[in-house]
Amino acid sequence: MAFWTRKSKDTKSKEEAIAADFDASGKPYAVLQNVSLELEGRTVLQDISLSLQEARVGIVGLNGSGKSSLVRLLNGLRLPTGGEVRMFGVSTEAMRAELPRYVGFVFQNPDHQAIFPTVEEEIAFGLTQLGFARAEARDQALAFLVRHHCGHLAEKPFADLSEGQKQLICLLAVLVMKPKLLILDEPMSSLDGLATRRIERKLAELDQKIVMISHDLGLLRNFDRVLWVGDGKIYMDGAPGDVLPAYEADLEQRAARDPEGLQP
Amino acid sequence: MMNDRSLVQIAFYAALIAALGLLPKVAIPVMGGVPITAQTLGVMLAGVMLGPVRGALAVLLFLFLVAVGAPLLAGGRGGLGVFASPSVGFLIGWPIGAFVAGLIMQTTGTLRVLPAAAIAASVGGIGIVYLIGIPGVAFMADLPLVSAAIGSAAYIPGDLIKVAITAVVAETVARGLPRALLSRA
Amino acid sequence: MISLYLPGQSWLHRCSVRLKLFSLAVASLLIFPISDPRLLGVVLIVVVALYGSLGPQGLRQLKALKPLASLVAIIFLLHVVAGSWLEGVTAVLRLVAMVLLANLVSITTRMDDMMEAVMTLFAPLKVFGMSPRKPALAVTLVLRFAPVLLSVYSSLREAYQARCGKRTSWRLMAPFLLQSLAMSENVAEALSARGGADGLRQDKA
Repeated sequence: MAFWTRKSKDTKSKEEAIAADFDASGKPYAVLQNVSLELEGRTVLQDISLSLQEARVGIVGLNGSGKSSLVRLLNGLRLPTGGEVRMFGVSTEAMRAELPRYVGFVFQNPDHQAIFPTVEEEIAFGLTQLGFARAEARDQALAFLVRHHCGHLAEKPFADLSEGQKQLICLLAVLVMKPKLLILDEPMSSLDGLATRRIERKLAELDQKIVMISHDLGLLRNFDRVLWVGDGKIYMDGAPGDVLPAYEADLEQRAARDPEGLQP
Repeated sequence: MMNDRSLVQIAFYAALIAALGLLPKVAIPVMGGVPITAQTLGVMLAGVMLGPVRGALAVLLFLFLVAVGAPLLAGGRGGLGVFASPSVGFLIGWPIGAFVAGLIMQTTGTLRVLPAAAIAASVGGIGIVYLIGIPGVAFMADLPLVSAAIGSAAYIPGDLIKVAITAVVAETVARGLPRALLSRA
Repeated sequence: MISLYLPGQSWLHRCSVRLKLFSLAVASLLIFPISDPRLLGVVLIVVVALYGSLGPQGLRQLKALKPLASLVAIIFLLHVVAGSWLEGVTAVLRLVAMVLLANLVSITTRMDDMMEAVMTLFAPLKVFGMSPRKPALAVTLVLRFAPVLLSVYSSLREAYQARCGKRTSWRLMAPFLLQSLAMSENVAEALSARGGADGLRQDKA
């Protein structure tokens, strides 16, 4: 309890430090130093050192490569078992409870992200999280929905939306909290081509820094930087023009070498 | 301290109890014409899977929703009327039964999940629930205890089936998703 | 969300929740000790008249008794077996009157209002360092999960039927729980990702 109290006491100065540090720009928003992660006795990530400052960072890799765990280190959903993750200059361990304010996270399956039965409640939740009273949160949520051309969805049950609308609402539910960084974990994997393009356009116009995992490599072509994660390590790191073709070639090669997927 | 995961789990089992009441004849054979609601299965599972405190809280959360007017009890019953009916003792027995079931799971930590869950569900989900439910019927319906017990006994075979299902399900979850067995975590 | 609430503007709808709950408690305490069947008959007539005051759709709400019918019959039978049919009549009249009266409060009170009235009871949780927001959040999560659980179950049943021909089996329970538990873990993660059940602006004690 004493530990927790001590942590919250310097929250104020931390917030100021974050604002000053980050808005001065050019500085990396995420720094990983010799980070390892073990989950249930299995090594998921191994000795990763990395610093991110680009506006658009893509992450590619096979299922189980550790990329989902990697992005979960950035918003404090997971803490490293070795090394240190610093977000906006502060260790995630020290600011874990405050991180959702700065780092928004959009999950792969919108059905798993939505907490509330209706769209308006889903959006307003982020605002009540920031300390707004329920009535004000409701008004602001409605205004926010209208601003994003979704006012007509406000009263709808979340379950009745199309897949594209669901993911859009999940994105808005995160954006309403005005995070500085947005992490997306395969946000398009349940969407059709049209919905994918709509979300892609929405993302393109955002001021937020974005880190996005995707199996759809086309979505990452215009990014500033792409990380290729394999076997818990950063396998390759560079411009999309270099990393994406290399990754694709590797996939082709592995599929040709082992068509049935018999090798580990 | 109750973390997010506990809160979601409590809500999850409360919803499970509700869903089991909404499912028409949930995969449980009907014994001798006595309609069996699957809802007590949810109560047993809550205790066995979540442990005493969270299990009892899940059942209380469900009863809270029923009390404020959600018709979530099997057969679409709900509201305050339910708590004026003769079966109110059983409803009061549910959270206590879930608590005891969870406690048994916790204290038998070394016993295999299947027998431990069977014991926990029988003692908590049948023993405790009837221990409170039968006097409840006697009190509300102005009957002698023996008559109330005879009237309630018709449901015991169905509850035994639910104990068996609880045990098998707990064992399966312990193998398939061990961290979900919070009573043993 | 389905609820027992009967939309309307009757005098009972306009009564405050607290007054209704208080009156119900007092009435129940008064009715319970009555052992004269004639007096209980009068009470029941009054209760039915209260339903009547809501109009014809109010009287239709007496259907709340239907699921109770078999239970009431058994109780009456047990009394007859125990030796007194008159005591059976008394017990049944009393039960029916009390259940109907309590149900009357439920059908004339919006669920939100009822919940709000009861939520104030959770305020003392603050003393134990628990946010009073948590019960409200828990309720919302139940309403969110219940339909999802039903749809998980129905897709499992479909898959089972497609392969086994049978409509349903208790064997579905374990996969049902495993699948829906996995879903609930994702929701827990999503909740944490947006600041958790306590919110972000906690009192910085």
